This record gives sequence, C-alpha cells and structure tokens, in this order.
Amino acid sequence: MPTSVDYSGYFQQMLGGVSITVQMLLWSFVISLAIGTVFGILRTGASGVVQIPLTIYISIMTGVPSLLILFIIYYGGSGVLTALLGYDRSFDVSPFSSGVAAIAMVNAAYVCDLVHGAIRNLPKGQFEACTVLGLPRFHAWRLILLPQVFRLALPGLVNIWIIILKETSLVSLVGLSDLVTVAKTAGGATSEPFVFLIVASFFYIAMSTLTVPLANRLERRLNRGQTPVGA
Amino acid sequence: MRDISTPQTIDVSLRDVVKHYGPFQALKGVSLEVAKGETIVICGPSGSGKSTLIRCINQLETHDSGDIVVRGITVDGTPANTRDVRIEVGMVFQQFNLFPHITVLQNCTLALRLLNKGTKRLNEEKAMYYLERVRIAEQAHKYPAQLSGGQQQRVAIARALCMEPPVMLFDEPTSALDPEMINEVLQVMEDLARGGMTMICVTHEMGFARRVADRCVFMADGEIHEIAPAEAFFDAPESPRLRGFLDRILPSTAHS
Repeated sequence: MPTSVDYSGYFQQMLGGVSITVQMLLWSFVISLAIGTVFGILRTGASGVVQIPLTIYISIMTGVPSLLILFIIYYGGSGVLTALLGYDRSFDVSPFSSGVAAIAMVNAAYVCDLVHGAIRNLPKGQFEACTVLGLPRFHAWRLILLPQVFRLALPGLVNIWIIILKETSLVSLVGLSDLVTVAKTAGGATSEPFVFLIVASFFYIAMSTLTVPLANRLERRLNRGQTPVGA
Repeated sequence: MRDISTPQTIDVSLRDVVKHYGPFQALKGVSLEVAKGETIVICGPSGSGKSTLIRCINQLETHDSGDIVVRGITVDGTPANTRDVRIEVGMVFQQFNLFPHITVLQNCTLALRLLNKGTKRLNEEKAMYYLERVRIAEQAHKYPAQLSGGQQQRVAIARALCMEPPVMLFDEPTSALDPEMINEVLQVMEDLARGGMTMICVTHEMGFARRVADRCVFMADGEIHEIAPAEAFFDAPESPRLRGFLDRILPSTAHS
C-alpha cells in the first residue's frame, strides 16, 4: 500500500496540469468572446455578403464535434499555414495553440448566437437614442449597447465559460499535459487510476465553483442602475 | 414663441414627403414649413403618420420621395448630410430611452464627450446647466431607474439640449407618463418654446397645444388635413375630420 508521500510528486504535476487547463480556459474564453461578439453584431446587419459566410461558419462549428475541429487544426494546421504563408517557411502548430484555436472557434459560434439574441432583446429605443445623439457607432456599441447586451447574455456566457473549462480536456488527445493527461499518466504509473481521476474531477468542480462568486460580482456590476436602490 | 412681425427664416421645410411601409402608405405627400423659433403641435388619430413624419426629419426613417430641408441641409440620405442634420435636431421619445446603466449626468455628457466637444469639466458644467433648466440637477448622480417617469423624461430633454440643437422634435413625450407627471414635462417644454426653440411636437395634450403652439397641424391617413394657428384650430376648425377629432377628444365645454 503506497503512502501519501509517494503521491506528492504526482499531485504537484497535477497542479501544473491545472495551470495549463486554466491558461487554455482563459485564452479560449477571451478569444471566443471577442470573435463571437463581433460576429453577433454582424449577424444583426442585413447584408447578405456577411450573413451567408457567417451562417456557414456557425453551422460548421455547431455541427462538427469539437474534437474533430481540434484534430483538423492540429494535424492539418501546419500544412495549411505553410501553404498560405509561403513554402519557404514551415509552421509548427503546437498542441496548446491548436487547442485554444479549436475551442475558441467552436465557442465563438455559440457566443455569436447568444450575443445576437441579446441584441435583439434590447429595446429599439436604445439604438434610436444613440442614433439621434449622433454617437459614433463604435463608441455606441462599446459604451451603451454592449454593456446592456452582456447583462442580458451573462447567464449564457457563464455556461459557455464552464463548457470551455470542460472542453479544454480535449487537448489531452493531442499530447498536451493538461489536468486530465497528468491524472491519466499518474493513474497508470501508480496503478491507482481511480484516485487520480477523482482528484482531477474535484479540481474541475472546484474551478467551476469558483466561477460562481466571480459571475455574481460581474452580474452586480452589469446590473448597475437596473433596480432602484432601496426598492 | 415666434414674433410674427419679423421676417421668417425657415428652419424645417418638408415638401411632398412620401413614405411607404411595404404596401402601406404612411405619408402621402406631406408639406410643412416650420419657421425659426416656431412651435408646431401635430395631432391626429393613431396611425395617421405623425410620428413617421417627425422621424423622417432626422432620418430615423428614410422617406421615399419629396424634399426635407433642415436649416439649409438637404436630408437626402447621404451619410454626411444625415450626420449634419442630427447635429441640428434633438429628439425626445415617448419611452425616454435613457441609458439605464449610466448616471443621469453621464447620460447628458456622453455625446459631448464622444464628439470631443470640450473638457470633462466644461461638459459637466453644461450638463448641470441643462439639468438645472429642467429642474432636476439634484438627481444628477442617480441612475435613470431611480427616477419617476416625469423626471426621466425631463432628463431626456436635458440630454438632447446638451448638444444645443436649434430644432427639437418631441414624439409623444407625455404619452407614457402617469397623469400627475405630465405637467412637469409640459412645463419644461413650454419654457423651451418661450425661449425661442424651434419645436415640432407630436402630442395629444390639447391644453399645451392651445397655450404654447404657434400653429397646430392635424394629420389623418398620412395627410395633413388642416394647419392653423392654435386659436383658429380649436375654435374654428375647417375640415370635418378635425371637427370630428376634436369632438371626440375634448370635453364638450372646451369648444362649441
């Protein structure tokens, strides 16, 4: 029966895995939020030139498994980049960057739908007030419309945050040492897979639980002015 | 209000303005000239095209044909002219449309700030001046939802005034208000009118129209049926449609 001392090295490795997972989560979420928001705004426009490619993008990203997108980027990405950017250089696509790219691209499609829905739920008068005041369009979105859009979209965005946290485990299949990879390796080496996989699960649960107070703070901030104080 | 004896400058001129929504013709060739400093009240049954008319002036709706000229700027749908016209024209909506997530003061200074009109302090001073004028300066640091409807509408008026537009459009500014709050808004509008603002108001407040308007316009079915100075409009309406309309909305003692 191995003692806990024997495991301590593995648990330290798991902390390294947690760090990779968290980095993946932050990058993927920020990128999918940025792309998804821009796409969501474009989706409200009427122009067919934009709508058709957007519709195709969303159908692909919501219809194809994330794992497949990841494999396409990881195994096909370097060839595509080399072809696009010149034969005289070669490009390596790292497991980390292909993981971030795949997860961000897939979730950008979901963020796009969320943001688009929230924009349509904003009162028309908010847009008209921006228009008649002559606010430059970029600033109107930045300061007036998007803060209200994110307020409406927040519950959905918190879901996407947690989905991304879990999807980061896919990168274990392209050889990145994230939390799942480390747990699997440690489990194999010690013949105690159950212990390490359970511990890994607890890490995921802890991380999603931590998002609750964060989300609540964000919600309070976005709700500024929404309810009469003292009412 | 306008001094009738002086030569007129035309601030807003509409000629044969036509607007369709699909097969429905909302405006069937409307013509109207509004002199500088004049207060115009437009009334009429719902669906008569009143709101559409004033929304065409600042291009919240684009008209299909006809000419709209605002202070020498032809409203022809080109981005530059549309932008210029919106600088000349302020607008107040039925639903206030204040920005809910920023304070009253920030609502007022936002456009000044984004259009680089001046320093932060100057903009705040200007905003406070107009909030003072609509008698709500003490609420400057509250959020819109903390104010009553009448207060919110006065803030909306101050927000529009901060851009110092020579022309103001009011689209049923008191229709969403509780009855006891209507007068505080009308009083602010009356002060503005007496201060020489060019105003076009869509409203059902006939007392305001009679007291403040230089001319009243009656619209029905996308057409102007009657334009008359306020007194003649109420006391001696010519068109039968207007007579019928006034009979329905005014207490029987108000006119004979």
